[in-house]
Amino acid sequence: MNQNKLSFHQSSASLEIIGMPDYSNNENKDQISIISQWKLNIVDKPLIEGKFEHLGPIMDAFYIYSNLLIKNEIPIYESKLIDIKADNLHIHNIVLKSSKPNVKPLVLKIGNSLLSDTINCFDQLSESPKVRIKKTDVLTNIPRNLKFGLNNKVKFINFFIPPFIAICSLILFSSSFIYFNNPIENKEKKELINP
Amino acid sequence: MNGIQSLYALSNRLNLNNVLPNKVTIWKLRNNNPLRKSYVTNNIKLNEFDALIRITVEMSKYLYPYIREILKSKEDIEENSVIWNDFNRRFIELIKERFNIDSMRVKKLLNQAENDAIIIKSLLILSFCISNQGYQKLKNFLYDF
Repeated sequence: MNQNKLSFHQSSASLEIIGMPDYSNNENKDQISIISQWKLNIVDKPLIEGKFEHLGPIMDAFYIYSNLLIKNEIPIYESKLIDIKADNLHIHNIVLKSSKPNVKPLVLKIGNSLLSDTINCFDQLSESPKVRIKKTDVLTNIPRNLKFGLNNKVKFINFFIPPFIAICSLILFSSSFIYFNNPIENKEKKELINP
Repeated sequence: MNGIQSLYALSNRLNLNNVLPNKVTIWKLRNNNPLRKSYVTNNIKLNEFDALIRITVEMSKYLYPYIREILKSKEDIEENSVIWNDFNRRFIELIKERFNIDSMRVKKLLNQAENDAIIIKSLLILSFCISNQGYQKLKNFLYDF
C-alpha cells in the first residue's frame, strides 16, 4: 500500500511525516492518520527519526522545554526518551535515548536559532489539516485562574503588557534596521576605490 | 522605517481598523507604556490588547529571518558578532531616545551585562509565535508572564 509523505520546513530544520490515511474513517487519500515513521532533519546535525509513539513525547519535550526557557524557570526537561537542558543562554544540549538495548544515546547541541526552527516545524505539523495527531495542549491552554479574570477591560495588563510590547516592538524595529555588514566585502570595495 | 506607519499599515492589512482607526490611536496606546518618556495613563481595552498581539505576531512572521540571524549571531559571537552588535546598538539607541532613562527598569535594559538575557528571551518568544496559532501562543505567554 502506498505511503503518504508530508514535509514541514523552517529555515534549517525540516520534519518529514510518513504514513497512511485511515480508510476505515473514509479519509481522503492524501491524509495521514496512521503515522509509520517521522524524520527530523536539522542542518549539520545527525538525522533524528523514530516511530509514531516517540513523536508526541518528543514534541511535548520541546514545547515544555521552550516554555521553561522563556519563563525564567530552570530549563531542564528529563524523560525516558529525551533529556534537554541548557548549556548556557544560547546553547541547548539534547540527549535522545534509544529504546533498543546497547544503543548509545544520541547527543546534539543546538542553538536558539535551531531550537526555534524546530519548534516552528512542530507547530506546522500540529496545525496541518492533513496530519491527524494527538494535539499537544502544553501551550494552547490559558491558565484557569486567569480565564475567569477576563473582562472587557483588563487592568492588570497595564502594568506589565506595555513594557513587554514596547521591548518587542523595539526589537522588531531594531532588527529591521540591521545592516548586514560584510567586512571582507567592504575591504574589497575600499581596495577598489583606493588601489 | 517609521514605527507608527508600519503598525498602522499592518493593522489595516489585518482589518483592525475598527480597533485602531488611525495613527493617533496607536500613538496613544504606545504612550501607555510606563517606561516611555511620554507616558500617559490609559486603560488598554481587551480588543486593543488583542490587536497589539496580532500586529506583534504578524510583524514577527515578516521579520523571522532577521530575528533568527540575530539569535544565531549571538550563538557564535566570536565568529559573527557584527549582526548582534548592530542590533544591540540600535536597541540601546532607541531606548535612550524614547524611554525614561531615570527609571530603574530602563537602566536595567541599558545595562549591557543584564540586557542580553532580556533581549534573547524576548526574541525567542517572538520566534516561537510565528505559526498560524502564534496569536494564541503569544497571548498565553503574556498571561503566564
